Amino acid sequence: MNVVVIGATSAVAQSAVRLWAAKHYSLTLFGRNAGELERIAADARVRGAVEVTVHAGEITEFSYIQSSMKTLATPQIALIAHGSSSDSERADDDATYLAQELNTNFNSAVLWTQSIAAKMATAREGCIAVISSVAGDRGRYSNHVYGAAKAGLSAFCSGLRARASHYGVHVVTVKPGFIDTPMTAHIEKKGALWASADQVASGIVKAIEKRRDVVYLPSFWALIMLVIQHVPERIFKRIKF
Amino acid sequence: MTPLSLDQPWGRGFNAKHDHRYVEIEALPNTTFLPRGLGRSYGDVCVNDGASLLHTFRRDRLISFDITSGIIECEAGASLADIAQVALQQGWFLPVTPGTRFVTLGGAIANDVHGKNHHSAGTFGRFVRSMTLRRTDGTHALQLNDALFKATVGGLGLTGLIDSAKLQLTRVPGPGIAQSSMLFGRNDPFSSIDQYLAMESASSDWTYTVGWIDTMHHNLRGVLFRGKHCEGPPDWCAPIPAKLAMPLDAPKWLLGNWSAKLFNAAYFRSQALKTATQSTLPLWPFFYPLDAVTAWNRAYGQRGFVQYQFVVPKANARDSIVHILKHLRESRVASYLAVIKSFGDIASPGLMSFPMSGVTVTLDIAGPGDRERRALDRADAMVADVGGRVYPAKDARMSSVMFQKFFPQWRELEAMRDPMISSSFWRRVTEQNSPPNREHA
Repeated sequence: MNVVVIGATSAVAQSAVRLWAAKHYSLTLFGRNAGELERIAADARVRGAVEVTVHAGEITEFSYIQSSMKTLATPQIALIAHGSSSDSERADDDATYLAQELNTNFNSAVLWTQSIAAKMATAREGCIAVISSVAGDRGRYSNHVYGAAKAGLSAFCSGLRARASHYGVHVVTVKPGFIDTPMTAHIEKKGALWASADQVASGIVKAIEKRRDVVYLPSFWALIMLVIQHVPERIFKRIKF
Repeated sequence: MTPLSLDQPWGRGFNAKHDHRYVEIEALPNTTFLPRGLGRSYGDVCVNDGASLLHTFRRDRLISFDITSGIIECEAGASLADIAQVALQQGWFLPVTPGTRFVTLGGAIANDVHGKNHHSAGTFGRFVRSMTLRRTDGTHALQLNDALFKATVGGLGLTGLIDSAKLQLTRVPGPGIAQSSMLFGRNDPFSSIDQYLAMESASSDWTYTVGWIDTMHHNLRGVLFRGKHCEGPPDWCAPIPAKLAMPLDAPKWLLGNWSAKLFNAAYFRSQALKTATQSTLPLWPFFYPLDAVTAWNRAYGQRGFVQYQFVVPKANARDSIVHILKHLRESRVASYLAVIKSFGDIASPGLMSFPMSGVTVTLDIAGPGDRERRALDRADAMVADVGGRVYPAKDARMSSVMFQKFFPQWRELEAMRDPMISSSFWRRVTEQNSPPNREHA
């Protein structure tokens, strides 16, 4: 089984890579940090991965994505895991930053997903898991940019799932809640809502195996987001969270 | 692998305040800090109250594994669980393992842990081939004969941040354990211990030996468990994930002398009733029976527990052990689970290593109050009188006077300690004027 991971240095991707390595899959890892990618690849090899190749580059840039696709062999599984926790305050008055965040969380994710899906469609098999977020279910005060990009990504995935299903290709929309990772280490109090990267990764691997359409990880987030989506806008706009 | 609590040691009972740092994010902090792995140390060697903890559990990658020589190199935050699982698939296993697999490689080195094979293998530190140590004065590649290597093995994390290490694994025929158990117990405690020691020394062809001992019984009865590696089906290579979790803290009224007596008696009876004393099982439940229950430390209630492990020299070991256990029983110190084992005489490279040639006994004591603490202080003195020592990795209470008697070499470690690293334990046992018992939550 061949697996491609985009954004392989993210905590969730690293955990997923370990699970696939233990199943003796072959892995192709894309990321920005060459040193980290090499360490992740070594770890995967020791844990049982058959073959691991790494590609370090500007994974959010259109030209890089395009040139990578020329040489990429068609995988059976893909995980689109890169992202950036956009700072809403900064985006308010820094348009360059805003454009860059939208490109990272939306444009580049869509480009990778669409291009890999096209390859899988030719092979008439494959499954792509795309890490979106519960944040995409409703734009909130504290993350309107991140939420918007993830909302777009979720919408893209549901549309692509419909298109790709005619070619035997499956798309999983992954919506994690709070994850305890280096990206969120600065947040002091972590309650019951926080999940570990390992928990989320094992949810992703299972969702791919079961060809699920949309998964909230952990699953209780489906209920929370159902409630949040039904708060009247009149009230919602006053809540600063 | 994620620790259960970042602020408490495994024995709980402390409410420490920490500034949390993460080694994968930043360089060494420029404040006083303590490297910490999965927080399974029972006492305050993994606590740094009022200062920083530098968490290493996310720097847990395996770097290389030579399946011919059995040498594995890992980042120090890698858990023994991960190392063991990868090793088993290639016919190797940890050369020495403690009673939980949820410890990091760095933690195993820093506490120079031992296991049921100490009589034949010695401590964990003996199998470390090299390591990388990050100190505030730079990064050091340590080899076996370096003074800093010896100080780091059993150095309680004080000499620097162990970044990565190479470990020599042991060849095993498969993921199984052939186990045999035998009851012991005579009509007086001296003969019971004699009987145990005789059974143990007649078991030299067994790799692992350990005795469970009913310290609540006046004649000290128990069960000797022996094990050796054997073949097993391939699916035994992976650990069975914990299916049970302790959902809440046990209430205080449940944890008393009477319940400890009852528990021990019931356990002895269940062992005595077993018809088969020989069995083959996966190695996971043999080495890590308590890992099957997540957060089993909650069984000891909110006040937590201390684990009291001492070793006494071989000569007169029997008399020393009987006297110490008699003293604890007469002081009504309740212990739910106690084990006894003879250490061998294989020396560790570690400067501050705990094991020494002799016999060791470990007791779990729930939420110790003043009475229990006074009784343990007295037991410390009895251990010191016969030239034994108490295990720092499990300690939360020994006085600085006693610690310095047990480990006169502590000044050498102090001299090599990284000036930016400290722990609640180290301050407690080396700052002369500190009170012998720290305040308990």
